[in-house]
Amino acid sequence: MQKYKVTFFPDNLTVEVEKDKTILTAAISAGVYINSGCAGEGICGRCKVILKSGQVNTRSCGMISAQEKKDNVYLACLTTIHSDLEVLIPENSRLNFDKLTPEELEERLAGLYSKVEDVQIIRGTSEDQAFDDSGFIRKIYLELPAPTINDSISDLERLYRGLRGAGDFGVIETGLFNIRQLGELLRDYDWKVTVTLGKRDDSVEILLIEPQDTANKNFGLCFDIGTTTITGQLIDLNAKKILGTKATYNQQAVFGSDVITRILYSAKADGLEKLHLAVTDTINQITKELITEQKVDLNDVYGIVCSGNTTMIHLLLSMDPSHIRKHPYVPTANFLPALRASEAGIQVNPRGLLNCVPGVSSYVGGDTTAGVLSSRLYQEKDPCILIDIGTNGEIVLGSKDFLVACAASAGPAFEGSGVSSGMRASSGAIQKVSINKDDFSVDYTTIQNKPARGICGSGYIDLLSAMLAAGIIDKSGRIKAEGKRIRQTDNGKEFVVCFKEDLQSSADIVINEADIDNLKRSKAAIYSAVSILTRHLDLGFFEISKIFIAGGFGTYLDIDNAVNIGLLPDLPRSKFIFIGNSSLAGSRQILLSAQAKAMADQLAAKITYFELSVDPAYMEEYGQALFFPHTDLTKFPTVRF
Amino acid sequence: METQLVLEKWPGSISVVTIGAKTAEGGSRSQTVQIGGQTALPLMFKEGVMPNRPKIAFEIWDIAPVDFEQELMTAYGRAINDPFTWAQVCVDEFKADLICLKMQGTHPDFGDRSPQEAAKFVSKFLNQIKVPLIITGSGDNAKDNLVLPACSEAAKGERCLIGSAVQDNYKTLVASVLADGHSIIAESPIDINIAKQLNILISDMGLSLERIVIDPTIGALGYGLEYAYSIMERARLAALSGDKTLACPFICFVGQEAWRVKEAKADGRQGIAWETLTATSLIQSGADILVMRHPKAAENVLWYTDGLFRGQ
Repeated sequence: MQKYKVTFFPDNLTVEVEKDKTILTAAISAGVYINSGCAGEGICGRCKVILKSGQVNTRSCGMISAQEKKDNVYLACLTTIHSDLEVLIPENSRLNFDKLTPEELEERLAGLYSKVEDVQIIRGTSEDQAFDDSGFIRKIYLELPAPTINDSISDLERLYRGLRGAGDFGVIETGLFNIRQLGELLRDYDWKVTVTLGKRDDSVEILLIEPQDTANKNFGLCFDIGTTTITGQLIDLNAKKILGTKATYNQQAVFGSDVITRILYSAKADGLEKLHLAVTDTINQITKELITEQKVDLNDVYGIVCSGNTTMIHLLLSMDPSHIRKHPYVPTANFLPALRASEAGIQVNPRGLLNCVPGVSSYVGGDTTAGVLSSRLYQEKDPCILIDIGTNGEIVLGSKDFLVACAASAGPAFEGSGVSSGMRASSGAIQKVSINKDDFSVDYTTIQNKPARGICGSGYIDLLSAMLAAGIIDKSGRIKAEGKRIRQTDNGKEFVVCFKEDLQSSADIVINEADIDNLKRSKAAIYSAVSILTRHLDLGFFEISKIFIAGGFGTYLDIDNAVNIGLLPDLPRSKFIFIGNSSLAGSRQILLSAQAKAMADQLAAKITYFELSVDPAYMEEYGQALFFPHTDLTKFPTVRF
Repeated sequence: METQLVLEKWPGSISVVTIGAKTAEGGSRSQTVQIGGQTALPLMFKEGVMPNRPKIAFEIWDIAPVDFEQELMTAYGRAINDPFTWAQVCVDEFKADLICLKMQGTHPDFGDRSPQEAAKFVSKFLNQIKVPLIITGSGDNAKDNLVLPACSEAAKGERCLIGSAVQDNYKTLVASVLADGHSIIAESPIDINIAKQLNILISDMGLSLERIVIDPTIGALGYGLEYAYSIMERARLAALSGDKTLACPFICFVGQEAWRVKEAKADGRQGIAWETLTATSLIQSGADILVMRHPKAAENVLWYTDGLFRGQ
């Protein structure tokens, strides 16, 4: 097929695209972002570009004035390429950060570009075999018979007939945008087209009709939008294969580390917009890095599934979250229809769809639903517990018969935030620690065995347990030992895990008493929520058959150490199953399977929300858990320090 | 038909702490004092035993008190200017079971006496005053860490009760008390969990739970008394239910709290009433030692205690 070069100014970026592609498509392929509020339907008129040279075809839309016509202004989404082009993108059409002041830019992008990192995830053994149907996005290549006098149904009906021959899609719908170009497209390309279908709730939508066979290029994204960490994956939807996983801290953290502070911030002038941009910027940046690394064209990414707590989803979609924190704590929406991703500011193919995993309540969100889905807790015969250890920890207790969930605000310490040497579970993070009892020398391993850069959640769990066992800290978390690794600082005493001389780095890796306090509060919040929820259902821990542990812990979590510090209840270790990022896994399943989406809808409706704050025993229980492992030592019979 | 009272039967009991050692036990006290040993909630004589009555300890300073109300100064007269005379008056005239010696003079703002001076003072005090002794620091953590070990060593073998250990500062004191054979006061800020945590931390260092007396921190009548009351009650319920880490007697610093309130400052007779009522309320929530200031209040409390225990 004929290809042309399109050069965009002022960026001076050139991209090679096929004939008949739109300028908007070319811009997306080139990584030049143009406003397109209507997803390329020619309605909003925000993607105006100025043609400096070259041949194009365009359709009239009533958005271009006579003067603009003279000035060679075109709508990028309605204008197709018929020769090499030079295109100028005027300031008003640019979707980039040039319009921002340096301060705004810094605020929006603080550290963003340097922080996206590859993360390793563990995958449950059975999670991806649970559903085997086709997913959210499908591409169908059709070779339609040309019409004859005896087969004279219309082009659109012909397309539908072709689709029905290829599979049972139920109700099919499409927009005027696709119908308008259909006649010409089918004839120009000899009735050979690829149709991209997006699953909406009770129907499928024809997202896009493209010339010739592009069915092999079908990609999607799944994201876990955590309060502290955002993790994204690029998936080959045909092969059902993970191509890459990347994570970074949620840039919203500059507006507050917990959801309540962010909800309060959203009520300020431009607050909601800033929070919204912070999360979409982060998603777009992760996406950009994933597709660049995997050499995938952004135009070939048609679907994205996001799971996150209810507040995160509100902010992602720029919905007012203020009622989440006000009595009686009602969110704007728990179940959201499939939306145009571009409407939410997410950069994929402009016609691509966004699904958000349905949530349960204001404080138990889609990430929990996704966790229940991917852990398959809902199929268990006997009561099991799912513990998602995150900034907003969630606990689900249930089986195939019932599901009850509660939320525990644990803070970001186990995600490596708010602690002095903390980091995400990415390369160079200390994740496994032991300490020699005699000389306090530290033995550790890092993720991918890279030089140590910091400590991640699983590293902190090991470290606390080892410090208790070695007698470096007492049960309240105060450093009581002395030695060359123990120093007095403004934050109380600190213990040096690695000296900078050994790391050839500029700073020591340390843990101080304030860090220990943070970690202690986090673990107490999780443990007490598990304890209260279990008691609330008149169950004893011994009646729990499995405990699924989820969280951004990388690939390793030492259950013994987690019990030693009182994060997890003292139960036979064989009951614990570490499943990694269950929210991401659930969103991936929904991306890949329509059945998984239907199951998620069912689960979100089925899970009962239990509000911890109305239970007076919670604070009591929390106070008791502010100790290593717990003030009631009879609850931890196997823990000995 | 006679009404049958439902009686609770508790699995746990409060430990017995002995203060003071006689010559035969390696000390030089004229008597010893036992506290604790309850097997039921306070004064529930039908449900269990309460072998030891609540005891009153008279608060004495190692210097002439600086901010005492006139009513208190008058009650002791000139004796209050000399700690030895002051203590002797308490023993002889007011029949003190215990003396609580506060080493206020070691505080950096109140004389800043050295640990050596403090130790010398304690030795002399033990020589002259023969009732069992409670020794408390000035409340300045850094200084107490130097002073209290010196006092502890000076009082070695006398089985004193020494305080206070707090969550942020307990190791030095525990080590001294352990070495010199005393018992310890574990102070927590009206918080049952911290009380419990501190007891575990102390016993982790090797000092047995039977040598700990809990200071739950109290407020005077109208100034938080009910908080202290309920914390003490909850701790007792837990202890009697079998939680050994809370099964320690209570010491309540009634005098210093009661004489701080504005009603006491306005009128000395009100002060006496305040101290009396605060103390008698706390007896009902389980106080074992009441550290008091005014002899008349102490007399009232003794009279009241006699009444409570008459029917036992």
